[in-house]
Amino acid sequence: MSKKILITDDTMFMRFNLRKILLSFGYTDVLEASNGQEAVEQYDAHLPDLVLMDITMPVMDGISAVRAIKANHPDAKVIMCSAMGQKNMIIEAIQAGAKDFIVKPFQPDRIKESVSKFLG
Amino acid sequence: MNVDYINPFVAASFSVLEMVLSKTPVKGNLTVQPDVFTSHKCNVVFGVTGQVSGSVIYGMSGPTALQIATIMLDEPVKLFDKLAASAIAELGNMICGNALQHLSEAGYQCDITPPTIVHGQAQICTLSCPALVMPIETGYGKVYLTVGLKGRK
Repeated sequence: MSKKILITDDTMFMRFNLRKILLSFGYTDVLEASNGQEAVEQYDAHLPDLVLMDITMPVMDGISAVRAIKANHPDAKVIMCSAMGQKNMIIEAIQAGAKDFIVKPFQPDRIKESVSKFLG
Repeated sequence: MNVDYINPFVAASFSVLEMVLSKTPVKGNLTVQPDVFTSHKCNVVFGVTGQVSGSVIYGMSGPTALQIATIMLDEPVKLFDKLAASAIAELGNMICGNALQHLSEAGYQCDITPPTIVHGQAQICTLSCPALVMPIETGYGKVYLTVGLKGRK
């Protein structure tokens, strides 16, 4: 599959885990960012087809990063992937422009379901 | 300490540990911890702020940390390196995130600080707030959940 996916998470484990899951489903073109600011820069540079975005991160949080990406790329597809599943946070993420919200911990199939829904 | 504050962390620990490790955890006996105590070999420490504040610590032995990291990374972990530490920290993060959801549903709005890993035994002081400790048998060794929280007056 030639779709490009950007993983944004400050924890090394989660980037490792998501990359492994995406590879197992055939997504081989995977980029990584460790905070929201890096995600915005990577998005501008590589225009990925989809972004998986954590919320709580240093430098720039995930919701601010979604707003910044959507401001320049209104068609950007972003899936939030966070351990913080409070209702208000989910609403804020969706209002910022996220397409889906996955609460950690997740099963690999939950990632597959959401990614394939938005990548067709 | 109000049990309303520890129950969300116990419930979250059980659901997250069961999902991540694919084994049903077993609850041990709840004990009171003095505000200064000697930690376990591997500890994930969180600060809680908001309507309820204090600290939450997940402690475990070195071999337990390696076994849990092995399951989480789906490959053998022999050394507690940065990736293993990140896995253990993320486990704590998922539990705390889930617990905050429960606390929020109970009417307490709180936030957590990013996790700090303390590797090696240390004297830990929870400051003027005695903690409750719940040992949880995970199937890969015990995880000790230490919760020292108080409501904001």
